[in-house]
Amino acid sequence: MNIEDLIKEENVLLDFDADTKEEAIQQLAKTLFKHHKIDDLDGFLKDIYERESITSTGIGFGIAIPHAKSSHVIIPSVIFARSVEGIPFDAMDGKDAHLFFMIAMPEDGTNAHLKVLAMLSRKLMHEDFRTSLRDVSSIDEALQLLHTMN
Amino acid sequence: MKKIVCVTACPTGIAHTYMAAEMLENAGKSLGVNIMCETHGAIGVENKLTEKNISESIGVIIASDIYIDKKRFHGKPLINVSIQKGIQEAYPLIQSLLDGHVKIYNHQEE
Repeated sequence: MNIEDLIKEENVLLDFDADTKEEAIQQLAKTLFKHHKIDDLDGFLKDIYERESITSTGIGFGIAIPHAKSSHVIIPSVIFARSVEGIPFDAMDGKDAHLFFMIAMPEDGTNAHLKVLAMLSRKLMHEDFRTSLRDVSSIDEALQLLHTMN
Repeated sequence: MKKIVCVTACPTGIAHTYMAAEMLENAGKSLGVNIMCETHGAIGVENKLTEKNISESIGVIIASDIYIDKKRFHGKPLINVSIQKGIQEAYPLIQSLLDGHVKIYNHQEE
């Protein structure tokens, strides 16, 4: 299991835009649905909102990571979306989110998936990595950055 | 080098736990403190703290949104905060232990 298996070309959105947190979450989930990574859009959204209701996954530093372990996930996936303008996401530091990672894990997600996500989470705490991601100009460039984590 | 032991945990255990661990470890590096962080994620418990780790430390930081048994930290200065604070306020959390203003944890009083 590598990060390449979780974040594929069709999982990257570089011109992401939404007015609200809800709209952002819907759009990200729709992308998963469109590419057959989840089998039930509403069911998956319910699981995402359940996690979101504990605490917002707008963790600050311009990052949001809406995520769920859900029975509606067919293929474990991560959607990466970049918003140049920024989207309010109920973040702890009050700042808009520019980098979005919607994480869809099946309920029986393997340790291999989880280890990749742990690595991604750690890497996101580094400012130079976040800046590079915000500045990418192509999907290939984004994938290259995201895939250098292994 | 001074040592601080940490425990990070979050409800789903796939992201925040590791973000807080990374922030605490990085902040420790900048402040010249050796941080040992036990992570409670969906993978399970990793980097489990030993009795020696705890006894050698100057204090404990628990950043968690789930229940963590604190018994083993009896007698140590202990800060218990949300996982979000662990991520956002890693520096001030470590600094307050270095400054020695943290209350000593007494398990019997809990």
